[in-house]
Order: sequence, then C-alpha cells, then structure tokens
Amino acid sequence: MKAPTPIIEIRDGKKSFGSFVALENINLTIHEGEILTLLGPSGCGKTTLMRLIAGFEGLTSGTLRVSGEDVAAVPPERRPVNMVFQRYALFPHLDVFENVAFGLKVKGLAKSEITERVKRMLHIVQLESLANRYIDELSGGQCQRVALARALVNEPKVLLLDEPLAALDLKIRQHMLAEMKRIHAETGATFIYVTHDQDEAMILSDRVVLMEKGRIVQIDRPEDMYARPKSLFAAKFLGETNLFETAVADSGAQGTVAKTASGIGFLSRNGAGHKAGDKVVVSIRPESFSFANNDEGSSQKTQGQVEDVVFIGSRSFYTVRLDDQAKIRIQVQRNGRVKPPEPGSRATIYWDADNVVMLPQA
Amino acid sequence: MLLRLVVWTILAFLVAPLIIIVLFSFHASASLSFPFTGFSLRWYQEIFGNTQLAGAVTKSLIIAFFTALITLVLGASASLGWLRLDRIGRAVIEAMSVTPIALPGLFVGVSLLVLFAQAGIRLSTLTIVISHVVIALPILIVAMKARLALFDPSLEEAARDLGASQRQTFARVTLPLIAPTLISSAILAFAVSFDEFVVTSFVAGTETTLPMYIWSMMRRTVTPMVNAISTLVLLFSVAILLGAWLIGRLRRQSAISARAEP
Ligand SMILES: Nc1ncnc2c1ncn2[C@@H]1O[C@H](COP(=O)(O)OP(=O)(O)O)[C@@H](O)[C@H]1O
Ligand SMILES: [Mg+2]
Repeated sequence: MKAPTPIIEIRDGKKSFGSFVALENINLTIHEGEILTLLGPSGCGKTTLMRLIAGFEGLTSGTLRVSGEDVAAVPPERRPVNMVFQRYALFPHLDVFENVAFGLKVKGLAKSEITERVKRMLHIVQLESLANRYIDELSGGQCQRVALARALVNEPKVLLLDEPLAALDLKIRQHMLAEMKRIHAETGATFIYVTHDQDEAMILSDRVVLMEKGRIVQIDRPEDMYARPKSLFAAKFLGETNLFETAVADSGAQGTVAKTASGIGFLSRNGAGHKAGDKVVVSIRPESFSFANNDEGSSQKTQGQVEDVVFIGSRSFYTVRLDDQAKIRIQVQRNGRVKPPEPGSRATIYWDADNVVMLPQA
Repeated sequence: MLLRLVVWTILAFLVAPLIIIVLFSFHASASLSFPFTGFSLRWYQEIFGNTQLAGAVTKSLIIAFFTALITLVLGASASLGWLRLDRIGRAVIEAMSVTPIALPGLFVGVSLLVLFAQAGIRLSTLTIVISHVVIALPILIVAMKARLALFDPSLEEAARDLGASQRQTFARVTLPLIAPTLISSAILAFAVSFDEFVVTSFVAGTETTLPMYIWSMMRRTVTPMVNAISTLVLLFSVAILLGAWLIGRLRRQSAISARAEP
C-alpha cells in the first residue's frame, strides 16, 4: 500500500458564530481516496465543518488547506470540492439531465462533452431512463442519486456528503449505502461523509472522526473505535456497552485490575496509564460476555440471575442481574454447542481481559 | 343547515349586484330597474363611440402599465434583499409594508397631495403613477413574501458549489425560480392601479382615469352605459387575475424550493 497523500488539512481550526463557538481545536488530515465519516450527535458541528471545506463559511482562526494550498480566500465555486446537500437542493426548474449538467454548463464546456459526461454519470447512478423527468417526479432515492450525479460529474477531488441518507427509509438506505461504496470505488474521489448514524459510519468508512460539542474526540478506523474507544462518550456513542464504575486496584505487567465497590474485579490489557486508586469506568460490549468459558487462561467471571431473553434471528440478548444488583446485557450467537441458560436460572458469566476497556470518568 | 343558509345569503349579497349590473348592461331600455324589457347591445355600441371614455381607458392602461413596471423593479429588488435577511429584518420589512395597506385611502391621498405640493411637483400622470406605486408596492411585497418564504437558499449555495459565479447563480437559478412570482405580482399591481379611485382623485389634477370618468358620469346622469363599462372592467379584471393565477400555477416554475421528502 502506498503512503496516503493528504488532500485536506485543517490545523487548529476554530469557528465561532458571534460568541457561540461551533468548532474548536480542529486538527484533521484527510487522505486522497478515503471515505472519512464525520460522526456525532446533532448539533456537534458536522455541517459547519463541511461548509467550511466547501467554502460557504470561513474559519475564525486556523488554516484549511486543499491539496496543500491555503483556501481561505478561495470562493466555493473555485474549490475542487462538491457537496451533496442535506436536503439535496436539486433545482426544481430543471430536469434530471439539466440538473446534472449544471456544473459543466456554467464552466462553459462544449455541448458534446457535456452530453457525453452527463450520460456517463447517469449511467453510473442508473438514472439514464429518467433523464427528462423533473425533480418533483422522482422518489427520495432517485433524488439522492441525482444529487450524487450532479456533484460527481464535475470530477471533484473531494465529495462532501451531508447526511445524504437521513431522509430515506431504512430499506432504501441500506441499498444506497452499497451504491455509495460502489460509486466511490468507481470514481476514486475522496468522500467526506457526515452522519449521526453510527451504523452508516461503521459500514461505510475507512476512518471515523467522532465529534462532540464542536471538538474532535477520536479519529480511528471504525473497528478500532468500536473495540478501543478512548472516552466514555465514544464508548456510549458507538454501539451498545455495559459500564461499571470502578477503582484501579493494581497495575502491573499482567495488565490493570479494577474493582467495583461490590468487589467484582476486572483485569484489562487496555488499561495502561491508570494507576492504583484512579477512578475508572470499565466498558464491556454485550458480545464480549459469554456463558461459556472459552479460554481458560484469560477468562474472568462473575455470577448473576438471568432475567430476560430476547431472540433476534441468530442472536439472543440476555438481561442478567448481577449479585450486586447491576444489570448487564449479553449478546450470544446461537451455535448449538453451548446450551444457554433459561430465564430465572443462575448463570456464570465469563469475559476476556482483551475486551475490557478502561476509560477515564467523564 | 343554518350555516349553509348563512353562507349562501352572504354569497348572494356579494354576487347579486354583479349579476344585476351585467344583466342591465344588455337592457334594451334606459330603465335601471325591473321589469326587464328585452336584450340589446346598444349600451356597448355607445361605449365604443365615446372618445372621452376611450381617452380615460387609455390613460388608465398607461398608468397601470407603468405602475406595474416600476413596482416590479422595486419589488424584485426588495424581494432579493428580503431573501437575504434574517428573521428580524424580515419582520421589520413586513411591518413597514403592511402598515400602508391598513391606512385609509383618504389619508394616503391627502398626504401624497401635501407631499407633491411641498416638493413642487405639478399634478399629472406622473403623480398618479407615483401614488399608485406607493399603494401597490406594499400589497406586492405582502403577496410575494408568502411565496419567497418557500425559496430554499441552499439552491443558491448548490449553484455556487457547482461552479457558478454570483451572477450566473442569479441568472440561472434565482431569477428563473422567482420570475413567476414577480410576474404574477406585477399583474396584481396592474389590477390595483387600474381601478384605484380614492387616492387618484386627490393627485390627478386635471387628468381623468377610467374610475374617475365613470364617477363623473354617474354624477351627471345615471346612464345604463355605466353598466356596460362596469361589465367590461369586470371581465378585464377577472381575465388578468386569472392570468396571474395561471402563471403562479405553472408547473415546475411553481416549485420554488427543492423537494426533500422521500
Ligand atoms: N450560521 C449560524 N449561525 C449561528 N449558529 C450556527 C450557524 N450555523 C450553525 N450554528 C450552530 O452551530 C452548531 C453546530 O451546527 P451544525 O454544524 O449544523 O451541527 P450538525 O450538523 O452536527 O448537526 C449548532 O449549535 C448550530 O446552532
Ligand atoms: Mg447537520
């Protein structure tokens, strides 16, 4: 794999609206050809960051470079960046073909070239048959594709997508996610994808930028961010997790040991940096618990009462009340080898030190 | 049941005078009351032989045309500004445009007359046009505001994003989208000007517009010709309002915002 080339670099970026600070301490390097998602709850500044890159807003302080060039003074129409708007913003007075052709027309390209490129693009998004339809005659999914085509036909170095699937229903959304990956592979553009939906971020991205209240809290590959969140916020925002308030009892070569007030001990191999006496929150994903002792060496265990089971296809979700009354959720893959406990029965619960994450208290 | 009766009674009161005017415009005799004694087109023939009347109609048409044109230019500029205002700015403009509509014509007429006298402007067709613009502009702004509120500013951003300069964005996106609103508003201004009477009578000087002519005619003798003129004016007004409505409803052009819902 060749070394990634940075295409967008933001250094110490800050954006205020009056006295309100929308973005702060933004340091972000985006690589050519990757799909990067900006993930975070509504209002955390995702759209604002995107509008800064597109050129609709300017940084209050800090620098923004595109392909190494500081773009502070470059207006949106002269940036090698195109945007798919949150509500699409398709032109209602133009048909599908004219919508897609818009960018090429204003650049003054020859008619024959415009026709050729628009047709090729409509083919990629599979809308050739709808070229002469108007926007109000399209479904949500089709609008979505027109918006994609209208941006991509300009062959931008960077495509910005602001929650492009938020207005679609679940089924179309899953289909469009696959489409998006295919189109990304076909065009090779850099995709910056905004979403507040962790599943979209997980499925789509090479890297996830997790944001909270105008700051970047973690940048990682999706699987790393899921397995090793660096903060309580990250652990809670991505997927489901079980949290335990603990204090560090011991930290050594074996790993770090933390205990709850009721005495349940957790050994973690991801707890480096915490010293004895520190208050930490232990995070364990539902699928990291098990009713079977898989690995003699590293397994830890405790006991509890099974309260409830929910079957979802091949997976089952158990609610277990531990002896100190704390409730945990356990996800079990049904495979027939281990007989799962019945509701109401007592069970021993095992987990592995590799899956114990220790987080500083928020 | 009672409600229906009330509604029909009100409608009857509104429509009855119109029906009677139209009916008697075709009356064979000079009588303005029942019994109806037969149809004829004589009053319409008299209209077309009347040069004074023709002069008044021409004057009214010219005034209405220029009123519409000036209101259109001012209204378009105002609406472009309005699109770029925040909520507070919009509220201020709204208050400023609604107030003159609520003022009595008598008050507007007197104030304009005083203004023209102070400024030393001779009463003429020009002063009538200025006055009509003053009356029509607020109505126009109120009418346009509702439509322009639907304008989606992200369409302009999308155009910029796709490489259009500010001028190209205006020419290719903003103007085509607001044009139907502007044109139907201009027609409305035309209609307002065409039958304005109260303010006009203050600022007309020696000029005579159609409503003024009808009024002076009625003061001399009540002739059934008035019915014929009124019928024609009615037809004309309905026609232009229909035109404005049709333009406003033109497919595509009526969509001023981007479709977003699935
Ligand atoms: N033009 C603006 N003026 C004032 N505040 C704004 C403006 N744009 C965004 N904000 C504020 O900045 C914050 C982040 O907004 P946004 O970037 O849209 O969040 P997100 O897209 O993550 O939901 C919000 O609190 C929003 O109210
Ligand atoms: Mg947003």
